[in-house]
Amino acid sequence: MAGKTSLSKRSVQTKSFAAKHGEAEKNWVLFDAEGVILGRLAAVVATILRGKNKPTYTPSVDCGDNVIIINAEKVALTGKKATDKPFYYHTGHPGGIKARTPAAILAGKYPERVIEKAVERMLPEGTLGRRQLGNLKVYAGTEHPHAAQTPKAIDFAAANSKNKRTK
Amino acid sequence: MARVKRGVTTHARHKEIIKLASGYRGRASTCFRVAIEKVEKALRYAYRDRKAKKREMRALWIMRINAGVREYGLTYARFINGLKLLGIELDRKQLSDLAATEPTAFKALVDQVKTKLSKAA
Repeated sequence: MAGKTSLSKRSVQTKSFAAKHGEAEKNWVLFDAEGVILGRLAAVVATILRGKNKPTYTPSVDCGDNVIIINAEKVALTGKKATDKPFYYHTGHPGGIKARTPAAILAGKYPERVIEKAVERMLPEGTLGRRQLGNLKVYAGTEHPHAAQTPKAIDFAAANSKNKRTK
Repeated sequence: MARVKRGVTTHARHKEIIKLASGYRGRASTCFRVAIEKVEKALRYAYRDRKAKKREMRALWIMRINAGVREYGLTYARFINGLKLLGIELDRKQLSDLAATEPTAFKALVDQVKTKLSKAA
């Protein structure tokens, strides 16, 4: 219903910046999870995945960076959370609530799922959130197959003394 | 007096509503009785959200300024405080656009604020 713009209008209203789909700059960053506190890492990673650390942040556009995490099996949990604070999920059947502790997952076949799950639950639920979760690559061990993307390593432990607590 | 048939005006009124409902899902885009409800609701949403938009945009600008400023180790609140002390009256929309499109100009502002804050402390 927008009419023609009249040229005689005196004040010029400029539009706010808005990133466009596929045009947002997407870099690669690398985190080392060894000895790092899970929730603190996940919070920072979720922010980066959403692009909220950039002044070009646009809520409807996937403008976050791609994140690689290595040494995922060596992530740390404080207190008794490794054994006492399980991840709950529901099978959909009556009485189908199940739980698995982070300690059990870390000792199992897919230890990287602890970080994946923690980040997933810090991202918005929706198509964009799911897509941004796909930009997260978590690996157990020190190897990752994304050397070609030349990820920028971030020293997460040095950013805050609480990020890597010594007991 | 000429005879008036009611179908003509009714059809014209329905046509107007159906036009507004184009692109709606299911019967809402074709069937008048469904469409009128959806169109009325949509117009109410549009009226409300023209006002909400102003708040949402301001919130977004603040998020962007915060992101831009944190790169240089400041926070949004301290940055705005510094601008106030300096008497700089750029609004949040201008600041966020500077942060997004003119990084050097924005950096200059941040540097000014930083020196001001370090002096004030």
